[in-house]
Amino acid sequence: MVATSHDVMPDIELYQPTDEANALDLANELGSDGWLLGGGQDTYGWLKDRNKTPAAMIELTQIDAWKGIKETADGIEIGAVTTITEIANNPLVQSRYSLLAEAASKVASPQIRNVGTLGGNLNQDARCWYYRRGLDCYRAGGNICYADSPEGLNREHSLFGASRCVAVSPSDTAPALVALEATMVVSSSSGQRLIPAQDYFIGPDRDIVHMTVLNDGEILTAVRIPNTWANAEFYFEKVADRNVWDFALVNVAAAIKVSGGVIEDIRLACGAVECVPRRLEAVENAIRGQQRSEEVASRAGEIAIEGARPLNYNHFKVPLMKNLVMRAVRG
Amino acid sequence: MAYMHIGKDFVPPDVPGKVTGRIKYAEDYTREGMVYARLLTSPIPHGRVLDIDASEALAMDGVYGILTADDVYPDGEPQSTGLKILTNEPTLVGEPILAVAAVDEKTAETAIASIAVTFERLPHVIDPLESLEEGGPDAYNGGNTFVFRQGFVQEKWTADQVASFRAGNEPSAEPPTELAYGDLDASFAEAAFVYENTFTTAGYPHMSMEPRSAMAYWEDGKLYLHGGSQSLTAFADGIAGIIGVAKEDLVFVNVATGGGFGQRARAGSVPVYGVPAKLSQKINRPVMMRVTREEEFTIGGARQGFQGWIKLGFKQDGTMSAADLWIVSDNGGKGGGGDAFSATNAVSIVYQAEAVRLRGVSIGSNTAHRGAQRGPGENQIAAIVSPILDKAADELGIDRLEIRKINTPQNGDVGGIQRQPFTSAYMPEALEQTAQLFDWEGRQSRRRQRNGSKVTGLGIGQGYHNAGRSGMDGIVMMGADGRLKIHNGVGNLGTYSYASTSRAAAEVLKMPWESCDIVTGRTDLHLPITSPQDGSNSIFTNTRTFWGAAQDMLAKMKEIAANELGGSPDDYDVSNERIHQIADESVGYSFAEVAQRAMELGGKYTGEAELPEDLAEWTQIAVSRLAGSGFMGVYHDPAHSGNPPGFTVTALEIELDTETGKIDIKDIVSVGECGTVMHPQGLKNQLVGGVVWGVGLSVLERHLYDPQNGLPASTGYWQSKVPTYLDTPLKIETGWVDLPDPENPVGARGIGEPTQGSVSAALNAAISDALGGHIFNAAPVTTDMIINHLAGTSEQATPLAQNNFRG
Amino acid sequence: MNPNLTRRRFIKGVIASGAAATTTGMWYAANGQDRPAGYVERLIRINVNGQMRSVDVAPQETLASTLRYKLGLTGTKLGCNRGECGACTVLVDDIATYACSVLTHSMKNGRIETVEGLESPNGDLHPVQQGFVEQLSPQCGYCTPGQVMAAVALLRVNPNPTREEAQLGLSGNICRCGSYDSYLDGVMRAAEIG
Repeated sequence: MVATSHDVMPDIELYQPTDEANALDLANELGSDGWLLGGGQDTYGWLKDRNKTPAAMIELTQIDAWKGIKETADGIEIGAVTTITEIANNPLVQSRYSLLAEAASKVASPQIRNVGTLGGNLNQDARCWYYRRGLDCYRAGGNICYADSPEGLNREHSLFGASRCVAVSPSDTAPALVALEATMVVSSSSGQRLIPAQDYFIGPDRDIVHMTVLNDGEILTAVRIPNTWANAEFYFEKVADRNVWDFALVNVAAAIKVSGGVIEDIRLACGAVECVPRRLEAVENAIRGQQRSEEVASRAGEIAIEGARPLNYNHFKVPLMKNLVMRAVRG
Repeated sequence: MAYMHIGKDFVPPDVPGKVTGRIKYAEDYTREGMVYARLLTSPIPHGRVLDIDASEALAMDGVYGILTADDVYPDGEPQSTGLKILTNEPTLVGEPILAVAAVDEKTAETAIASIAVTFERLPHVIDPLESLEEGGPDAYNGGNTFVFRQGFVQEKWTADQVASFRAGNEPSAEPPTELAYGDLDASFAEAAFVYENTFTTAGYPHMSMEPRSAMAYWEDGKLYLHGGSQSLTAFADGIAGIIGVAKEDLVFVNVATGGGFGQRARAGSVPVYGVPAKLSQKINRPVMMRVTREEEFTIGGARQGFQGWIKLGFKQDGTMSAADLWIVSDNGGKGGGGDAFSATNAVSIVYQAEAVRLRGVSIGSNTAHRGAQRGPGENQIAAIVSPILDKAADELGIDRLEIRKINTPQNGDVGGIQRQPFTSAYMPEALEQTAQLFDWEGRQSRRRQRNGSKVTGLGIGQGYHNAGRSGMDGIVMMGADGRLKIHNGVGNLGTYSYASTSRAAAEVLKMPWESCDIVTGRTDLHLPITSPQDGSNSIFTNTRTFWGAAQDMLAKMKEIAANELGGSPDDYDVSNERIHQIADESVGYSFAEVAQRAMELGGKYTGEAELPEDLAEWTQIAVSRLAGSGFMGVYHDPAHSGNPPGFTVTALEIELDTETGKIDIKDIVSVGECGTVMHPQGLKNQLVGGVVWGVGLSVLERHLYDPQNGLPASTGYWQSKVPTYLDTPLKIETGWVDLPDPENPVGARGIGEPTQGSVSAALNAAISDALGGHIFNAAPVTTDMIINHLAGTSEQATPLAQNNFRG
Repeated sequence: MNPNLTRRRFIKGVIASGAAATTTGMWYAANGQDRPAGYVERLIRINVNGQMRSVDVAPQETLASTLRYKLGLTGTKLGCNRGECGACTVLVDDIATYACSVLTHSMKNGRIETVEGLESPNGDLHPVQQGFVEQLSPQCGYCTPGQVMAAVALLRVNPNPTREEAQLGLSGNICRCGSYDSYLDGVMRAAEIG
């Protein structure tokens, strides 16, 4: 029988490594038994519900090397353990990459932003309530999807990329980082690898159990944003039921270089329409070089929704996505 | 009328404790030796417990004991709807089956997880219409509805009848309930405009912030129960019976309660308090039963949902001639409330239709139990009727404020299915005041104006709830110190009506407020019975009782003074904490002196003789324990006559973004009409609180159950979409009519519930307005519904679906 | 954690061979058992309302749990225990935090403040508390301690907020009674009282 109301933290070990090597060793040693803990805002609910049962938590927030925002030779680097609030309020981010500041300011609620980390926000798991409830769906290792069914409650689920699972990417910062062409820095005790933001997130067709490419033992330790889109024109909008806490029904992040009314270049990504932040390359290609206008904005919206396959209850996401892309291009 | 206390703001005694965190709610108490209990609740929506194997749990270190339904009901569970203390026959997910007490909660949870409960799974149903359809599953054992004195029965329609209803037609089935007045056919025949459609309003949970945790222990044969309740003595009176302890052996401790909204006023809503009571008795230790947020969702109650059909007729001059309602009410998993009756009543009262009919049936679903929730029936129907009223106005060429004025109830009118006269009714004044404050006239030029992708909508709406009862008891005491002790059995759920109504006693004796003590918070302080604190009744009902009790003390003061100092009682009056001759103020006693005299005289002056007849048993116990200990004023309130209404009017302006479906309330005015205003800040709090609740009902809140497995998705604050700071207006303007009602000594009536109804009426109307008059016939109207309407997107939502809000 | 914290490592015992280790770690190492570096000590001292308190804290214990059950500070409430309501809001180094959704061990280096610590030693209410009293901001009062702490955090950073800024600052706090308008009046009044 599915668990009845669990509510308190179960017995679980806690490690608080104080330097990178320790943390990476622990992650390597514990593997999937070790839960990487940033601010914990997508952790304690799982543990209290006893729907995930790792043996230990590895807390990363004592590691100063993975915190903070600094300038680099060709952009900025944000430690993955930096809080969302710090990112939203950071002068560098606000002045050059306000797209990220805007997205960060829309995450959850102030108290969650105060302790939640960028890494945590990017790595957060799917919010499909069947999955969160602890039901044995594909994503949980079972062999059914409750949402993608004739009666399934799938209002908040995907328009694209369904492959047995129809959960969406819930993050607000993820599409912003895709639009900014960020690079994820993934560390492990065997070294480091760099992954473009867009390739960091994976859909169920590649891996139905994981939302990112992180392997056991790996930790997302930093996010690098290149100068490419610094001080471009940005647009971020999140439409959700409530204006606090709620995940996006659809969100859009855009970085645009406009000169003399011409869209010189653009990066566009939508969240909450697919299991990954959806980079809208077809739209970008269609409008690059065009004179910005209502028609171009409209056409951008139309192209953005091509191929959308709505479920029972999420048809509204199609016009909503279209409108948000239109607004992003319109500026 | 110039009062000393009535109509003035003051700091209720519990406020400092609330801002400092000193005031205690049930979960904040500890007791030496206390253990922690948690519940094992049903994981399935409908079933029977065949076997419970708790052997592993009971053998665990730190586990103190278990309580099962068999322990509680050795002679078998009551065969009725309504929550049980524990049950072996759950009809909703989350219904408590057993409780385990352990050294801490983690151990209790681990123990519970080890208990093997074998269930027989029974068919479950989420949508009442599915159950109504022949062949459809029944939520209860033995039927899908409960008939008083008959028991569980099956109510069934044919598949065609259900399909036709879902397709938008008037139900053709025979209704078990039918109430009407007037000549419906004739009234519709007179109508120049008729609107007819099916509609649906969602059920959604109360979600009070304090879960219904409770702590209990036994000492010297008495049960001490710490719990939350909207009421105090009314609740204790009831819970004693549910637990099976004599009234005189129960001490209910409840200094403050974190919200109730209708589902914590009466003991029948919270039988789970019997768990720590009985478990502590069994294991001989204090037991703290903590209820989690998810459990508060499942057993904390919800609003009845409606699957309905409405037909309204309006004459050429805008008068509502006829109102015809057919409502299938969702009774949830444990039976429900009377929302359909109240809804129809409200339509009759607020719009004074000449002919009204209600046909209805209440069907169970294996979802949250239903009962009273803030303006049950009245408030959800307000959201449905108001846009129709606007449509009628537009069609008939009448201003939307005007059509409400044309139909408004006023002094001298009768209303409701029982055609009861109002004690007073100043709705016309409320409408006018709102229109002025809001500048309704001036804003009309903005109606449907476009601002980029945004369009402006305007709405004005009315709310109603009956707002007063009578027949309760009052006690005031005075000791040798001359301080007035107001024995207050009114619950403290956050309205401060316990405090503001106490001021009536101070008013009678012209007592400075600093010389008064409100004696309340625990029933061993000997408090009189009150009516439960629901139904917006407290201000009206308890002003009558406190006034009467103080009048009794005043009469006794005059008597004592006249007997001892000469003259007749009429020669005496009170001022400056003295009883003295009117002609010569120097002849008299201080309150301290007359209280001492009273205590020396004894007899009726100290509650030992000549008590009022008809005191409730609870009050008699309190009086007998106070008797002889001080100067007593005691009173039994006779019945009032007529219907004391609580009315509200709200006007608001919204901007609706046609590209995103999002709504922003730009300006809002809410006005209360509740007779004389006792406590302006308290009233203002009810008005602004009603705005938040109105937003919830109109655009956000709904149950979410998965029809495949019957599990609830909306068990927390996030998924329940309870409105936040950023979903509600930045500033709410409030006002009040403040005209006295004749059936109350200071003219006051209650107001708590209708403050939501007028907001929902206005907001749903404004949304329709912004969308060019499109009527959704639904509440809530959510972002996706608006987007779908504007884009013409179709969705596969089942028409009139209940508890299955599109996910 | 606030990166502006001074770099205080809460290390007990000797740092051996470049790897941080607790005394517990050393003990286990000495006894031939594997105890990876960074394992937490249960007995800790934490700064709560300006006082150092010694508490036995399990690794998985939430700050709300420690405050309510081990330190008797019941002003901090459990409304949902999931970070969805704000009733458990406390301050850690002046930052508004959901006590139900952080571990005590994560916050043990910080300056923890609860509603109980706001009054002055002679019993005078904090301006936020005073403002809330004057405007009758609380209704049922259950969310009130959380609202108070969120308002205190706001005013420390922004002593004269606009009403919109106050609304944003408190937006992580639910009030089911719907007293938002009265709370905002209370915050604006508190800013006046200063």
